Amino acid sequence: MDFERSDTQHALLDALGTLLSRHAGTQRCRELAERGAYDHELESELRAAGFLDVFGEDGAGPLEATLAVEQISAELGAITPVPHLLVLPALGLPVPEGPVVLAGRDGSGPVRYGSEARQILTAGADRCVAAELSPDDAEPVPSAYGYPLARVVPRRAEDLAPGTSQTMMNWWRVGVCAEALGMMQRAFDLTVQYAKDRTVFGRALGSFQALQHRLAEVSVLVEGARWLTYEAAFRGATTESSAVAAAHTMAALNRLTRETHQITGAVGLTREHDLHLWTLRLQALRAELGGLRAHRRAVVTSRWEVAAA
Amino acid sequence: MEFALSEADTAFRSDLVGFLDQELADGWNRSEHGLGSAVYTDFSRGFVHTLAAKGWLTPHWPPEYGGGGQGAWQHFVLGEEMWKRGEPRGPQYMNVNWVGPSIIKYGTEEQKKELLPPITRGEVFWCQGFSEPEAGTDLASLRTRADRDGEDYVLNGQKIWTSYANAADYCFLLARTGSVSDGRNGISVFLLPLKTPGVEVRRIDGFVGDHSFNELFLTDVRIPRNCLLGEENKGWDIVRRTLAYERVGAPRYARAALVLDGLADWCRTAGLLTDPGVQEQFGDARALCEAARVLVYRVIDERAKAKEPSPLAYQARAAMVQAERAVGDLALDVMGSEALVEKSPGDAQFRNSLGAGIAAGSYEVQLNLISRLILKLPKE
Ligand SMILES: Cc1cc2nc3c(=O)[nH]c(=O)nc-3n(C[C@H](O)[C@H](O)[C@H](O)COP(=O)(O)OP(=O)(O)OC[C@H]3O[C@@H](n4cnc5c(N)ncnc54)[C@H](O)[C@@H]3O)c2cc1C
Repeated sequence: MDFERSDTQHALLDALGTLLSRHAGTQRCRELAERGAYDHELESELRAAGFLDVFGEDGAGPLEATLAVEQISAELGAITPVPHLLVLPALGLPVPEGPVVLAGRDGSGPVRYGSEARQILTAGADRCVAAELSPDDAEPVPSAYGYPLARVVPRRAEDLAPGTSQTMMNWWRVGVCAEALGMMQRAFDLTVQYAKDRTVFGRALGSFQALQHRLAEVSVLVEGARWLTYEAAFRGATTESSAVAAAHTMAALNRLTRETHQITGAVGLTREHDLHLWTLRLQALRAELGGLRAHRRAVVTSRWEVAAA
Repeated sequence: MEFALSEADTAFRSDLVGFLDQELADGWNRSEHGLGSAVYTDFSRGFVHTLAAKGWLTPHWPPEYGGGGQGAWQHFVLGEEMWKRGEPRGPQYMNVNWVGPSIIKYGTEEQKKELLPPITRGEVFWCQGFSEPEAGTDLASLRTRADRDGEDYVLNGQKIWTSYANAADYCFLLARTGSVSDGRNGISVFLLPLKTPGVEVRRIDGFVGDHSFNELFLTDVRIPRNCLLGEENKGWDIVRRTLAYERVGAPRYARAALVLDGLADWCRTAGLLTDPGVQEQFGDARALCEAARVLVYRVIDERAKAKEPSPLAYQARAAMVQAERAVGDLALDVMGSEALVEKSPGDAQFRNSLGAGIAAGSYEVQLNLISRLILKLPKE
């Protein structure tokens, strides 16, 4: 057991950090958000630097790819890191240029980057269904939640091999946790800093025990989510470990959203402040794969072998 | 990062599981009894002898003091498997986990020779005399006094909530040797034989399972100077250092997870496990148990690397409390009135979970420490 980052992981994340500081971040995110655009430039930089191949690489692997997803999300990269870095490689599929979207078994809701997506993977009962997309397959919908959304109706679908659906769902769960971790940590750090800086009644906000305890509880939830996610990736996203990670991460996300906005007061509700860049996007993750309730039920169906409800 | 046990530790776990399956086969019921119950205490007296004979009572102690010289992970695997079975070592886990190691670290040669061998053979019980009526969370305000008189100390005062004192041979006791205004700098540790005249143990009935609390009244209790552990007035350091890891020493999430498995079986039989609402509550509780597990593992990893104890232990403890409470609440919510039947899994877990956030440093204290030491929020 070893909870420290390896030298390889340090090197990988340092290099990724350098790239992201040039091609992502809050400024870039705001710019792209105005146009509702996907960051093709960031994607091709990541591809050129080899970050899209990490999953199957010698000396790296799924855990490193998961850490990369976390970091890309923390820096608000406007790409689809989960399909690119985790789901497609886990299924042994090539990673196309441009966004790829994922849809659940029941899923017909709007998806992130649906209008520009090149491909959609849908989890069927046992097999995944893959479809190429063209812009006329998508209908954009307005949304305030940090990602351009569209409803997608794929044509020309193709069934993949038996069992692919579960693999897709498991890595999607790990991926959505990793995205959430990156964003939750930023929103949390920002709030803790705010609690130290903001003075009310002649003292720092963060010196009130009522607020300290709430922040401490959020930190316990986020840390639990973090290590469950890394462990699930390390174990190759077994059905139970990925469902457990997702159940815990999404519960943490719910609590974190409330507390960060409450503790930063009105300033946290403004566009000028950065908090919403992470917390609004987080709500899009909350909706994926059927959300918290479905993650929790998935824990039960895998742990205690009951039929899905 | 690496989230698997070494081959040796994995092999140790499976040996241990086989051994426990055999030893605990007939009639040993895992979660129905409180650690302090008579059934438990009697059972554990025999059980720890067998364990000691296998070298598994104190495997992590240094060989010169009767240990097996094994690492932190082996010790932890042992604790985890024991708690999964409701801790058949009974109160002995305290001796093994921290009383013995404290004596190894701070004791004189004479103290080690006298006190350690009976622990490694599983022949004695120890209890922990910290809390007082006016000093629980605020331990530094404790008042029990130890005054020097020639070559002896004379103890006067009162302890409360002392688990297992009714069955124990010794007490790891905190007493004030300086003045009250010295706060934590005037406290010393004493290794007190409970047979000493002037010690009176009175039982307090609680409703936390079979767990019994006790009060300890100390009236002119005269003990020789060699009952002092470490230096006079330096007791706080001993407690802080040796107990830092013990916040996670009892892997309570392992028992909670076991109870949860039992509750799932119960619900399956009752036809409830396919109910979506019930499933959600189970999924949440299982996730909380697993989160507590990984956060505790993180602390054990620090210990295995021989690092100084860090504040991460407070997050791990808080997570364990959350897990125990979630399973306790679930039990009562899903089992209905069956959970009220004495010694049903629901009953045992719920009553245990009421004390989870109080014993061994309250939940609020963990949150205070996380705020101050991890988040570095300003003092109140
Ligand atoms: C099952 C069980 C076994 C025990 N076994 C032992 C034992 O063997 N030996 C022993 O010495 N003791 C033992 N204890 C006692 C235990 O350590 C104390 O109960 C504990 O330290 C709390 O102290 P208290 O009960 O005096 O509560 P108090 O200190 O009066 O606290 C009451 C409440 O106020 C909260 N609180 C207090 N201070 C603060 C603060 N600064 N900020 C926020 N909240 C605060 C506490 O968290 C708690 O919720 C045991 C307790 C239990 C439940």
